[in-house]
Amino acid sequence: MALLEVRDVHSYYGNIHALKGLSITVEEGEIVTLIGANGAGKTTTLRTICGVIKPRQGSVSLEGENLEPFKIHEIVYKGVALVPEGRRIFSRLTVYENLDMGAYHRIDNDGIAEDFDRVFVLFPRLKERRNQVAGTLSGGEQQMLATARALMAHPRLMLLDEPSMGLAPVLVESIFETIQEINREGTTILLVEQNAHMALQVAHRGYVLQTGEIVLDGTAEALRNNPMVQKSYLGIE
Amino acid sequence: MYLKDGIRGGLITFGIILFLNLLGLPLTAESSIVPIFTVLVGLFALLLLRSRAGQERSLLNASVNGLLIGIINGIGLVIVTYIFARMQANAIRVNQVFAQILPEHTGALAGLTKAEVLAGESIWPGMTKIAVLFAIAGLVGGASIRFFTEKGRKRMDSISASSFGHYTVLILPLVFFALFLSLRIKGVKIGGAEENILGLLLIFLFVSAALFALRAARPGKEQIALSIVFLILLVAIPQLTDLFQNAVLGAVAIFVVMGVGLNVVVGYAGLLNLGYVAFFGIGAYTFGLLSAPESYVLVTLPAFNGVTFWIGLPIAILVGVITGILLVIPVLSMRGDYLAIVTLGFGEIIRLLLLNLRDYTGGPGGVLNIPSPIVFGVDFGNPKGILYLGIIFSGIVAFITIRLRDSRLGRSWIALREDEDVAQAMGINLVAVKLLAFATGAAFAAGAGALYASRQVNIFPDNFSLLVSIDVLCLIIIGGLGSIEGIVLGSIALIGLPEILRSVNEYRIVAFGALLVLMMILRPEGLLPSVRHQRELRGEEMTEPVTSSD
Repeated sequence: MALLEVRDVHSYYGNIHALKGLSITVEEGEIVTLIGANGAGKTTTLRTICGVIKPRQGSVSLEGENLEPFKIHEIVYKGVALVPEGRRIFSRLTVYENLDMGAYHRIDNDGIAEDFDRVFVLFPRLKERRNQVAGTLSGGEQQMLATARALMAHPRLMLLDEPSMGLAPVLVESIFETIQEINREGTTILLVEQNAHMALQVAHRGYVLQTGEIVLDGTAEALRNNPMVQKSYLGIE
Repeated sequence: MYLKDGIRGGLITFGIILFLNLLGLPLTAESSIVPIFTVLVGLFALLLLRSRAGQERSLLNASVNGLLIGIINGIGLVIVTYIFARMQANAIRVNQVFAQILPEHTGALAGLTKAEVLAGESIWPGMTKIAVLFAIAGLVGGASIRFFTEKGRKRMDSISASSFGHYTVLILPLVFFALFLSLRIKGVKIGGAEENILGLLLIFLFVSAALFALRAARPGKEQIALSIVFLILLVAIPQLTDLFQNAVLGAVAIFVVMGVGLNVVVGYAGLLNLGYVAFFGIGAYTFGLLSAPESYVLVTLPAFNGVTFWIGLPIAILVGVITGILLVIPVLSMRGDYLAIVTLGFGEIIRLLLLNLRDYTGGPGGVLNIPSPIVFGVDFGNPKGILYLGIIFSGIVAFITIRLRDSRLGRSWIALREDEDVAQAMGINLVAVKLLAFATGAAFAAGAGALYASRQVNIFPDNFSLLVSIDVLCLIIIGGLGSIEGIVLGSIALIGLPEILRSVNEYRIVAFGALLVLMMILRPEGLLPSVRHQRELRGEEMTEPVTSSD
């Protein structure tokens, strides 16, 4: 059974039909990427999975369990953690407190302590700056913090919304390396990206989204070699 | 050398002094007007010459500009006073236009009484004195900006970090307390006729200094020893003070309880609540209606003899919590300004209901003869008893709040204040968390309300006006948002000090405004801020590491 299954979802913003019968599946242990242009519905898909938007039609299920009746915070308990677009860290709290907030719903203190060690190994920079106010971190460090904060929830499925946005190319590469590292440690990842080039390098599979509909799907390899993807998203004529 | 700032500052300050003059401050403040104006000029000089970020003003420059501000004000006031005096002497009726410009008025400025003015005493010696005082005040104000610059602050920090400075801070409250005690020795006169006011001031200074000392004390033995000493002295105070002092201190304590409650809502959860007085009023009226002999409840139920304070208190708190929850339901999805306006309306609705449900609440006639709290057969319905209860209540709510702050709930409030959406994505149940913040605040306010009803004996809808909400909000901001000790300081500054400044009581609101403006410019984090807020506003690193996992 797929870890995440989004089936024929129709989501609306008021009267605007944003997702038109979208279906995706994410298997345990995968990195799946969702690529598409501005306004294709990438973020809306994530918001629908998180429960921020309830679909009018279709279903989102985690390990076969329909998420429809659950509230946003309850979906977090189920093991879905979001790294929001634009990072959205708690800029006036310290790095340590931000991470602590990530583990808010957990009560297993030993497990939390373990995860602190784990994220500090993944992101040594955060360890150095643990008592610094998060708003004073650089953009790249803030992205690390947002990712680490989501990891602190010890999620089974991590949703990453545009982790490369506004970062220098060298930082983008290191962020994607970390994503692979996190995945190797056993966290399933759904990655939403405009930077299709990078996304298709780290992902196992991918979906191409256009105006609320999936127009293509397949392994990352296949998508990389697809002429339409090359032309529209990779800039290869 | 730039004198532009001095001239500009002098004109601004003079405009304000002139405005206060036309409002009639000299007449209200009588003989204390000269010191008030002098202090104002000094403060304005300090404020206006404050260094801007990155450019430090030299001591000479600040002093000369300060002096200039003082001189402009001195000369300006003398000229204006002279013109008005001439006009009056020539029977030109300026006072029809400016109602406050009367002979005794100009006299007060020159240090003369009405009789002396009418007897034709010269205003010149007095006016010369004012001019000189203003000049000195400007000079001192300008020169003292050195203490507010980065360099000056560092120097001050190094002094208080030295062991001499450290112990001075610890001993200071005891000095104030000793001075207060010395007032009680017969034959020693420090304050003259106004001795009880001076005593009150010394108690305020003692409490404030004690809070700073506790903050400065090294954690461990030193802090514990100091806490015990201060606690004993605090418990002794109501025994040593007179009726007037106890009454003022009691009001301060009640506002501390309310401040602690509002601090949970505004300081922690970041939900701007401008209708906080509603819960205070509901607490007071619940207890009043259930206990006062002529209240609607007791009159319609002849078999019911009314509740005692100790039964009424939990009922009042419960009713407060229920209304708090009812208020939350419509405002759940609101943030910031919208929330402020809805709560503001809620506060007014409750007051208008109390005023207009005449049959049930007594309308403008209020609820009369509310019984006093009885503890083990002892009547606590006097200022001393109320003060003791106020201190105990404050202690309890402060304890609860500190425990809540350090709990998961406290953290979720902070996350909520920072970013509601992300807080939800962290697994925080927004509805429950907002509800608990409002309910906690409402419970504290309702408890304070019951105590207040018992203290006032008679309560009226006008006791629960919007101004109370604003007062409480101001006092937590002045004390330092999020800081419990700060609330005590804020309460002393906004509720206690006006009693000392009785002679200028009408200007309390002006003073409020001025104090808030000054505070927000010079010390935006409040008088005694919480470590977190200080860090947030100054963007500094935490001085001490938080508990960590390794």
